[in-house]
Amino acid sequence: MEFRLSAEEEALRQRVEEFVRAELIPLEAEFADAPDIFDGSRWKSRVKSSADPEIRSYVALMEELEKKAAAQGLWRLDVPKEYGGLQVSNVALIAVTEELEKSAIPFELGNHVSNILYNCKGEQIDKYLWPCIRGEKTSAFGLSEPASGADPSMMQTAAAPDGDYFIINGTKMFPTFADVADFVQLFARLPGTAGREGVTCFLIDTGTPGYRIARSIATIGGTEPCELVFEDCRVHKSQVLGQVGNGWALNQAWLGARRFQVGIRAHGKCRRVLRVVRELVRLEPARIDQVAATVGRFLGEIEALRVLTYLGAWKADQKMDVRSEAANVKLFATELLHRITDFALEVAGPSGMRKNHILAKTFRHARATRIVEGPSEIQRHIIQRTLFREGAASLELA
Amino acid sequence: MDLKLSEEEKLVKDTAAQFVDREMIAREGDYLRQTAPFLPPGAPARRDLDPQVAQQLTARARDIGLWCLELPEEFGGSAMSAVARVLIHREFGRSILPFRPVSIPGFLFETTYGAKLADGTLALALAFQEAHRTGELSGLQILYRQEPDGSVLRDSSIFVSHPTADLFLFPAREQGTRRLGLFVIDRDAPGVTITDQTDLTTDDTVARLLLRQCKIPNEQLLGYEYEAGEIIAAEQLNMAARSLGIGMRCLGATIEHARNRITFGRRLAERQAIQWMLADLSVELRTCTWLTLEAAWRCDQELTYFEEAALAKKRATKMAFQAADTAIQIHGGYGVCKEFPFEGFYREARLMRLLYGREDELERAAGLKYLSAE
Repeated sequence: MEFRLSAEEEALRQRVEEFVRAELIPLEAEFADAPDIFDGSRWKSRVKSSADPEIRSYVALMEELEKKAAAQGLWRLDVPKEYGGLQVSNVALIAVTEELEKSAIPFELGNHVSNILYNCKGEQIDKYLWPCIRGEKTSAFGLSEPASGADPSMMQTAAAPDGDYFIINGTKMFPTFADVADFVQLFARLPGTAGREGVTCFLIDTGTPGYRIARSIATIGGTEPCELVFEDCRVHKSQVLGQVGNGWALNQAWLGARRFQVGIRAHGKCRRVLRVVRELVRLEPARIDQVAATVGRFLGEIEALRVLTYLGAWKADQKMDVRSEAANVKLFATELLHRITDFALEVAGPSGMRKNHILAKTFRHARATRIVEGPSEIQRHIIQRTLFREGAASLELA
Repeated sequence: MDLKLSEEEKLVKDTAAQFVDREMIAREGDYLRQTAPFLPPGAPARRDLDPQVAQQLTARARDIGLWCLELPEEFGGSAMSAVARVLIHREFGRSILPFRPVSIPGFLFETTYGAKLADGTLALALAFQEAHRTGELSGLQILYRQEPDGSVLRDSSIFVSHPTADLFLFPAREQGTRRLGLFVIDRDAPGVTITDQTDLTTDDTVARLLLRQCKIPNEQLLGYEYEAGEIIAAEQLNMAARSLGIGMRCLGATIEHARNRITFGRRLAERQAIQWMLADLSVELRTCTWLTLEAAWRCDQELTYFEEAALAKKRATKMAFQAADTAIQIHGGYGVCKEFPFEGFYREARLMRLLYGREDELERAAGLKYLSAE
């Protein structure tokens, strides 16, 4: 048994640690009042079209950071080697994110590339995959619908074959950044299919006739997901991602891979929230006794989350089935972040609810994460399904 | 990172698992159905393992290397790693039979008691009273004075949990210097009395070890602060590991029961109320498993591990309690029957939560340390 990172992973972690210390931490004061747009990941999608000089100045800072990271070889970490990436392990990605999360600046080492886009073939590669890797294009993910969220197998959006084309009709709810994305990864079903059968993923460019963004919807989490409407939208068969009818596996792969990053991100946020508590208590030392035990309990939970996350990432690297572990991490991480933030607000009082306060921001974000990408109830469902299928043996040591 | 068990670890784990299945779980029926030989009116029966069975089990466990896990190689032992010990205690935790490998701190084997401790002629008990509250010894009250020919103890009374032991290991602080000394004392030594023997609600007994005008020879001063800390951490890891075993047993049995039991036309396994109890339990069990193994691994790597061991113990014992509670609830009437192991696990886990650091105290200490750090 070995809990240490490999030499290679450790070297990478140290380089990121140094980058965070030298480049990110010094910018924190400047970013303290940055607009919400820079919260969380994928800020790039949202600022692309902004002419606001304040936003542009933050963008300039971020782009400067990107150049520095790229110059140090800290770029495209999760991109496969054949696309010029470092293709590091899941464990290494977790270690890297753990370091990045030590700073409040929402900086990522590489452009966001939806992992299922590596299923691109032929012309799709130059049209979608490469531009995403280079940061020139961004994507949205269209899965949920007005009548199906947690259970996407209920989706109704239809893709009717018509010669070399498919005619798409239906409505998608909540794809984030669809309003600024260059294309959407759209899931629709073939005629006469139900459940997980017949689901197919299409890459549909923004502006394709018959595809419109009906509105964007403000949420507690600060994002503004969209409602997409498809009315007789004709899409050529070359726009199918992967194979016709294998879309279910793609949407599951997209969800699964993100869980461990969600875990380690939440881990970092939990730690930052506790640091806020520590600073508040420092102003009123008499309160130490009142909050110490609760803080101690949360410290233990944060450590538990870290262990769970690394375990899941390691198992994913071993190509083991991690559906249950991924659900563990998603459930544990988002529920913990919510509880810690709730507690921190009790310590802070009403001043913690100021709109730009880190606790208020985290509070709004944390509430959304218990829903986004599979609510806690679905995670418990996935966990119990494995338990009843495999028994307690599913928790046995390998 | 490699979280697979090594070949050696796998062998140790499988050996222990087989022993627990074949020798212990197979004997649980007799143990659980025994009628109480003597019963104070109104009190639940106190159970005990048939001494003959205990002897047989000890002999077999010793044969296959599952005894005296800390015994160094030079004394014929296998000096198991902390990870291996966790794997073993985790398996033993699965059985309600009150039988487990004795835990004896390695340095005791270098004393004159070593051989007899190793062959089981002498039994050792820890008398770490103060450590049960906070998981450390800053509140230690027992004082000694160093004289050239030995240590003179101030008269004291120490809570001990295995009063039938032959030797007691206990910490004391030197008057003035506050240095911690770790002493071993014979139950027959002058000035030692064992009194106030009381049954606990688990099937254990506690008593008071009274020390009156005791003088302990220098060779029985065996260690200092760090050794005492190591013993506490080792006990915490043992309890955490045992708790994992309790969790595995309760979870496994309850899944099986829920698959078969039908209420109002549907299997319990199809009921969300049941599914969620078990889902939550499994998350906690998985978490505790890896917190415990990481703490043990850190011990083997000679990294700091006391805080990690305390955290593992805190969470795992609580998880075991939750596991037993869930098992009882889902087994319904059977759950509270003494013919089933769950109510025994429930009592055992409740006690473990009170040993070597109570939850509130451990949390408070961790919180204070964090809040006062820069």
